[in-house]
Amino acid sequence: MESSERPRFERVDWSEIDTEQRLVTTQRALFVAGLLVLAGLFVYDYYYAHVYLVAEWNVTPIDWAVLTGLVGLVSYGVVPALRNRAAVRRTYESIRSRPVLTAALAFLAVFGLLGTLLPTLLGRPELHFGYAYQPPVGVTVDAGWSPNCFGTIVQGQGIQRYCEGSILIPLGTNGRGQLMEAMLVAGARPAIYVVLFTAAFIVPLATAVGVAAGFRGGRLDDLLMTYVDVQLCIPAIFLYFIGYMYVGPSLLLLLVTFGLLSWGPVARLVRSEVLQRREDGYVVVARSLGGSDAYVARRHVLPNVTNTLVPAVFHLFAILILAEAGVAFLGFSDVELYSWGSTIAEGLSPDRMAAYQVWWISTVPAVALAATVVALKLAGDGLRDVLDPRGGR
Amino acid sequence: MRMAGPAADDDPLLSVSDLRTHIETDRGTVRAVDGVSFAVERGEAVCLVGESGSGKSVTCESLTGIVPQPPAEIVDGDVSFDGIDLRADDTDLRAIRGNRIGHVFQNPQHALDPVYSVGEQLIEAITAHGDVGERAARERAVDLLRRVGIPRAGVRIDDYPHEFSGGMAQRVAIAIALAGDPDLLIADEPTTAVDVTVQARLIELLRDLLGDGMALLLITHDLRVVASLADRVLVLFGGQIVERGPVGEVFERPGHPYTQALFDSYDGFEQLEDRPARGDLPTDGCRFRPECPHAVSACETGVQPPFYAVDGAPDHAASCVYYTEGRDETTVLDGNGGVRPTGEVTEDD
Amino acid sequence: MTEPTGGDHDRSALGERTVDRRGDPLLSVTDLETHYPITEGWLRREVGRVRAVDGVSVDVYEGETLGLVGESGSGKTTLAHSLLGLEAPTAGTIRFDGDRVGELTGAAKRAFRRRVQLIVQDPNDAFNPRLQVGTAVAEPLALNGMDDAERRQAIVEDVLERVGLAADDTGRYPHEFSDGEKQRLAIARALVVDPDLLVADEPTSALDARVQSDILALLDEVRRAFDVSILCISHDIDVVRRFCDRVAVMYLGEIVERGPVDAVLERPAHPYTKVLLDSVPSLDPSDRDLPAPLTDTIPDPADPPSGCRFHTRCPAVIGPEDADLSTDQWERLAALRFTVQVGELPARIDGDGTTSETVVRETFDLPDDLADERIESGVDDAVAALADGDLDRARERLAAVLPSVCEQQVPATVEIDGRPVQCHRADPEFDAAPRPWNR
Repeated sequence: MESSERPRFERVDWSEIDTEQRLVTTQRALFVAGLLVLAGLFVYDYYYAHVYLVAEWNVTPIDWAVLTGLVGLVSYGVVPALRNRAAVRRTYESIRSRPVLTAALAFLAVFGLLGTLLPTLLGRPELHFGYAYQPPVGVTVDAGWSPNCFGTIVQGQGIQRYCEGSILIPLGTNGRGQLMEAMLVAGARPAIYVVLFTAAFIVPLATAVGVAAGFRGGRLDDLLMTYVDVQLCIPAIFLYFIGYMYVGPSLLLLLVTFGLLSWGPVARLVRSEVLQRREDGYVVVARSLGGSDAYVARRHVLPNVTNTLVPAVFHLFAILILAEAGVAFLGFSDVELYSWGSTIAEGLSPDRMAAYQVWWISTVPAVALAATVVALKLAGDGLRDVLDPRGGR
Repeated sequence: MRMAGPAADDDPLLSVSDLRTHIETDRGTVRAVDGVSFAVERGEAVCLVGESGSGKSVTCESLTGIVPQPPAEIVDGDVSFDGIDLRADDTDLRAIRGNRIGHVFQNPQHALDPVYSVGEQLIEAITAHGDVGERAARERAVDLLRRVGIPRAGVRIDDYPHEFSGGMAQRVAIAIALAGDPDLLIADEPTTAVDVTVQARLIELLRDLLGDGMALLLITHDLRVVASLADRVLVLFGGQIVERGPVGEVFERPGHPYTQALFDSYDGFEQLEDRPARGDLPTDGCRFRPECPHAVSACETGVQPPFYAVDGAPDHAASCVYYTEGRDETTVLDGNGGVRPTGEVTEDD
Repeated sequence: MTEPTGGDHDRSALGERTVDRRGDPLLSVTDLETHYPITEGWLRREVGRVRAVDGVSVDVYEGETLGLVGESGSGKTTLAHSLLGLEAPTAGTIRFDGDRVGELTGAAKRAFRRRVQLIVQDPNDAFNPRLQVGTAVAEPLALNGMDDAERRQAIVEDVLERVGLAADDTGRYPHEFSDGEKQRLAIARALVVDPDLLVADEPTSALDARVQSDILALLDEVRRAFDVSILCISHDIDVVRRFCDRVAVMYLGEIVERGPVDAVLERPAHPYTKVLLDSVPSLDPSDRDLPAPLTDTIPDPADPPSGCRFHTRCPAVIGPEDADLSTDQWERLAALRFTVQVGELPARIDGDGTTSETVVRETFDLPDDLADERIESGVDDAVAALADGDLDRARERLAAVLPSVCEQQVPATVEIDGRPVQCHRADPEFDAAPRPWNR
């Protein structure tokens, strides 16, 4: 290293500098380490712990898949963010200045955290058959529907008695006495899994395909785009039902089938953007410098296509959450997941009651589902604005 | 139509007086056109020369109001075309624009809509300003294509813009501009995006059209194009005209230091002594003074230095203090606003 | 030790430019071809090839500026991209500093990529709008293995000052700079890995005249101070005239003429060079003559003309051997023959059978009463066919009676004025009236 002299480009001794691509990067190291930890946990669970891994958590294949995805997201998403703190701070400021976006992201974050942690730590919502069909706060129902009333009992005319909703059970209970708040939070978990799985596996797959098709062109492009065309014709739910015949209800199966068949449009989008930007000056220069397609795509193309990519990805999240809810609604999902979809279905054909009488059972998760979808769309549009290079630096 | 005054044949076809257009940007209001006055006679070719940021495009877009307002705003000035006040009424303006004044732009592939055939676009232009039947419109469209030199016009009229080469597409754009049989064609860098051999043919086409009696207001940064087409030259800098005159005179004896610098750059190359600061030109006096080797303190005064005849020729004038009689020769402005004694500066001429 | 900032101190660095060749060329291209297949169908069956670069041999010596001039379709950009490894050549060899570039692997290949750098045309998309310019200028350093971020930053700050910008500018974004400044940044980025060859693709085309001058001055200074060769691609003859030592003129994938700039521009040996130079309008308003080539249509690079590629447009095309035609008559007949051949009928002749023979004869100013009866009858037939709208027959007849060696044989390479040129006119073997070329 030069001591007191200013480093000048013509004094660099390039023969001393190793230009070999480093094999061990922080991201790779973290990724591998994370996978090893997971593998260890898997072995532990399989051979020793059996049913419960931590507290009340019964780890299923979908959990393993999502955890793997999470390892990937953290090592390749969070680490670069930590490196570039200034940019992250700017983005954060930009988000803060947009109240709608902040609200949407806060909503998603809150539900995300609660949905992940609470069911894990507390297990499934407790059954209290004695307290079935309790009304939400502010609502009064016939006390005869349930053996007990958690709130106050009000005497009506004659032998008519009413049960009032209590502030302690603000959203009421369902037909098995499970708290609606618990059902709400539990139902967030499949939604989060959908988002994490999509973000970790489907979006990178779609992006990689789009980049490969866009940069390489030729036969690879033809092949990939033909596959996308075919993919668009196969109804995912059909494939799911076929799988269902063999493995039964499985969120993992749902995500794999729907996921495998939904990445096409995103791939197309990425390919289209790559084709447009391939001849931009800075992309040509990066390629002439010897950057691989992956490097050029990651560093130069993708950051400049956020305008179309970000809303599309969030739209994908929303669509897949709705798909999961739809499948659950039809009754083809794992009951233990307590998906909002199945709760809605429950509420529409409750045991020994008419649906309108216990309307909160279907309405609460429906509102949650709608709110989540709206939040995702708003987040997508808002983040698009935040990341827009022209959006006022 | 509201008339600005009685129109006579020896009145200029286009008369622009003290035109000012301001543009709102992130960094404040930019005075893109800051007091421009000129005239174009019938059948004359006038070239507007300047670099990017000089205001040449905004000037011409302001004449027919096609400059996007907002963020731009034409704040002042009179524009009169054949006696009609173009700034008064929008209806008058729209009747003239595309009809008696045609526009041609730099990139023909941008000016032509890729999803319509060339014929459809021509016919649209033809029928926009006149009640013409379909058959007659198509015939006129073919005639226009022939006029601009498209071979096999009868067949090519149904082709799409992407099926034309750059030079041919520009001819099509010119044909569309000619649809209303305009008296004036405003062309903004029409030959910049094409090869030099294609440019030569386009120049010949423009000369041909001039020969038919059409007037031409041509914007360009290329002095060679000016030399090959212009009758008169207007040199723009910082939103103002700094020199005007017949092309022969301006080329032989460029009067304004900026014009001189332009010509010098064709001979060799050298580093600019005082590189223009990021976009910030002075907003009073002579805009060129930060970069001018002859700047004196008098250059700071007023809206713009008065026009003086260059070498006694009355129609060749430069807006430059250098030509004032009795100017203060003892001190000179340096690029940073300071003042140095004249001894340190060499002045040629 | 503090050194004065700015470029001034480097002006005195290496003194005068030497034009004499120092030994072997730095870059040596031999018979390079870059063809693109035109495919049809799902199996991508090749039905043709776009011959973008079709047999180019050229050398670039140390410390010199070589200009590459051509119009669209000439292949100059494809040639530049092939040299940089952005396009894969389909034939021929490229030698850099003695090594065959196509055979380089691993560290040697990376070294080659470092030693040859690119400056792109449009300063407005030369930089990733998301990245700070400091990061962008440092990218070549990072990609070539310099991991120390501080060292990169220091080198970048130094380079920015030397190209006339400020060290502080590293934190700014591309949109904060003017076009000229962005081009300086592009030059800084290319310089930062200490290259031996700069490929500058139209480095000044998007710039105003005075900024052009400024940037050319900077490039010249860079060349002198750091002994960098520059391959300057340009369509602007003015740029080449002021800036380059030697120039090569390209047409349809071939180099038609090369040599010292003054020689080629003052005494062009190849008719295409002459056409190109004649097409540039003069700076003298009283000289408005713009001589035209025979036809305007640039041939399809996938299907170049036979023999000499320029023959369909060449004002000096050679007439039939032993034909009794004056130069003037042949010129007019040649215009007829080749205009019909490429289908570029003048506007007055529609080709749909509605034009009269008189109009045809008038439009082409055809000579009446030719001495050679065979030619006269052929021309008459062709005129009649044109009037009828039968383009094919007109072509046939004219091709039969007015053959030209220029379409039949590829010209041999001959030396004119000390430079190699492929033109039948220059070839002493052919009996064609030589024409004076001097401008």
